[in-house]
Amino acid sequence: MEQTIERTGRAQEGGRPVPKRRGSSESRWGLIMVSPYLIHFVLFVAGPLGASLYFSFSDYDMLNPPRWSGLDNFARMGGDPLFWKALKNTLYFTVLFVPLQTLLALVLAVALNQKLRGLKWFRMAHFIPVISSWTVILYVADAIFNPRFGAANALLTRLGLDSQRWLQDEKLAIPLLVLIAVWKGIGYIMVIYLAGLQSVPGDLYEAAEMDGAGSYRKFRSITLPMISPTTFLVVVMSTITTFQAFEQIYVLTGRGDMSQAGGPNDSTMVLMLDLYREGFTFLRMGYASAIAWVLFMILFALTMLQLRVQKKWVHYD
Amino acid sequence: MMKRGKKFMMLAAAAAMTLAAAGCGSESKDGNGAASSAASSATGAASASAGSGEKVEILLGYYSDEKSDSKMKELIGQFTAAHPNISVKTQSAPYGQFYQKLDTQIAAGTAPDVWLSDGVYVMKYAERGAVRDLTDWIAKDLKADDYYGLAYNKDAEGRYWGVPQGIQVGVLFYNKDLFDKAGAAYPTDDWTWDDLKNAAAKLTVDAKGKTEGESGFDKNNVNQFGLTFFSITEGWFSVLKSYGGGVLDETGTKSIIDSEPNKKAFEWMVDGMNRGIITDPVDLKSFQSNTAVFPSGSAAMRIGLYARVLAANEAGLNYDVALLPKGPDGKRSAPVIANSWVVNAKSGDAKAQAAWEWVKYWATQDDVQKQWAELGEAIPVKKSIAESDVFLKGEQKPANRQAFLDSLIFAQTLDVNAVWEEWVGKFNENAQRAFLGDQSIDEALKSANADVQKVLNDFYKK
Repeated sequence: MEQTIERTGRAQEGGRPVPKRRGSSESRWGLIMVSPYLIHFVLFVAGPLGASLYFSFSDYDMLNPPRWSGLDNFARMGGDPLFWKALKNTLYFTVLFVPLQTLLALVLAVALNQKLRGLKWFRMAHFIPVISSWTVILYVADAIFNPRFGAANALLTRLGLDSQRWLQDEKLAIPLLVLIAVWKGIGYIMVIYLAGLQSVPGDLYEAAEMDGAGSYRKFRSITLPMISPTTFLVVVMSTITTFQAFEQIYVLTGRGDMSQAGGPNDSTMVLMLDLYREGFTFLRMGYASAIAWVLFMILFALTMLQLRVQKKWVHYD
Repeated sequence: MMKRGKKFMMLAAAAAMTLAAAGCGSESKDGNGAASSAASSATGAASASAGSGEKVEILLGYYSDEKSDSKMKELIGQFTAAHPNISVKTQSAPYGQFYQKLDTQIAAGTAPDVWLSDGVYVMKYAERGAVRDLTDWIAKDLKADDYYGLAYNKDAEGRYWGVPQGIQVGVLFYNKDLFDKAGAAYPTDDWTWDDLKNAAAKLTVDAKGKTEGESGFDKNNVNQFGLTFFSITEGWFSVLKSYGGGVLDETGTKSIIDSEPNKKAFEWMVDGMNRGIITDPVDLKSFQSNTAVFPSGSAAMRIGLYARVLAANEAGLNYDVALLPKGPDGKRSAPVIANSWVVNAKSGDAKAQAAWEWVKYWATQDDVQKQWAELGEAIPVKKSIAESDVFLKGEQKPANRQAFLDSLIFAQTLDVNAVWEEWVGKFNENAQRAFLGDQSIDEALKSANADVQKVLNDFYKK
């Protein structure tokens, strides 16, 4: 619409540039029209961002005004074993979670991409955990992994094996959290993959069949490359959400006593949880802000890396 | 993708920063419409009747549940009726939310003029300059001997930062039915921790109904524990103290964890957990919450603060209380927390003065003390009321309420300081490793000592 108006304007003026006054009135209206968003952006996005950047260079306990402290917060990170442990735990969580969820979701999507009766119900069943809140998931997880009353230990005991502490075991805690997160998240990724699978043109498969390709060959040489943009999206997205993981770990490891979230012995302390405790429990908001910015830098770098590498394996037609 | 990254950054940064502060701050004002309207209607009546002097409006904050909220509002109504020049706006929320809101409000300069602080948080706010020094007002208006626990809010330099609103002291709760069933004698005030453990062993029953000493007893599959025990207040603190140990020195800035008495106390605890008599941290995780074990009848005894009578009564338990056991040398200790009124350091003199009127009203008025005692959440701070039938002859259990008052004689605060929550967390982590046998007691105490000292240094060296 606007373009048409502008074009007609130009035609009338014989191709000369639109007079300035008229343009500025238009842009004023433009500004007014987008102002709700701009105001929101300045107040709730840019403002807090700037403030948090400032806090990250200051000593701020929330109860007193921030005091500029230069790079102290970032230096503190270097000598804070908990920060490094949290970073390590976050990476460990991501490295386990992203490939596992991506792979299983793909397998599931391929399996549920057949034309079978009742398929909708299977798809729906896998999607239910996605829309359940973490608090609900907690109860399900507890029914299985409760160290005394859970089904998992009951099974182990019946098989004559030693029962386990599960989430209370420093070595098992993160793998277990990953399993639970995969169970919850897989339905969502599956749906994205299903969309990807259904957009692969059928004639490609027909052509391959004429050339005598088997189903493995078709999957390997047609499906995988064709859905590689989907895989790329899924990997980038899950990496980011995994770095943000907070609620699930807070709820699952803090069960019954929130001060123990991140335990046992900080084995499930991830960056977001560390950041939250530093800021809101221990009142080191400056330090927490610094952690948030470092977290951002890490994610930014990771995403840039993924962008670089994608050229090697992602195919767009 | 870039957009994703940015979006995340905003989430991470914004969540941690002022956005949250701004959001919570503004929400809090209208977040309890019922609260403010009830209070202001009371105020309205008061101001209509009188109207002399300059009018001061204060914001009063407290955490509460439904029952205590309506009682508190009643009391505030009575206060404003008696103080026509003061009007009160209230802000109340459940415990956890109250503090989240409070911290962000302090940051934004919109915190209440007077608020109810958990006893273990008074120093957190005091040492960061967020609450007013009440030393002079207390000296002028309150007779120290009339109250329990005024000294609990006194710092190393002798300054007072709050006035107790209610007292919580720890005693030994025991389930009489379970004792009767086991044919065990009820706890006495002469018990040592070893006596307790001997009795607890008889009261520990595994899934097949066997107790320790019977063949086939499975300590890893206990259905009923002798003693449930967790964290600092209702766990290790009084054991350490009565064994002659402790966590911090009297300045609250130095860790004294790595000591022989603490080691002895830990040996007592770890042995009990090893034998399945005392709940270990993994056992506790099988329950809905740490506090659910005793009311559900899954433990014969617990160390419990006064407020735990509510859950025990609600569960209909047949129980009573006794003094906590003595240490090997006869030393006694009971954990005590005085939830206290504190006054905002940023409030102007007029508002602070009005806030103090409320605190004074709370502490000195027998009627207020009685009404609050009837609610049954805390031991009244005024001795004359606590020692009267209002408290001692409650209709509900436990029968031996005198035990709470007797415990106050040897009660000790939980080495509370500005970084209490943080060092307790560090201590717990190390203690848990010892409790579960993942680490020796010696190692656990050493590393707890180092970890706690690091937390203290970080704050106090500034």
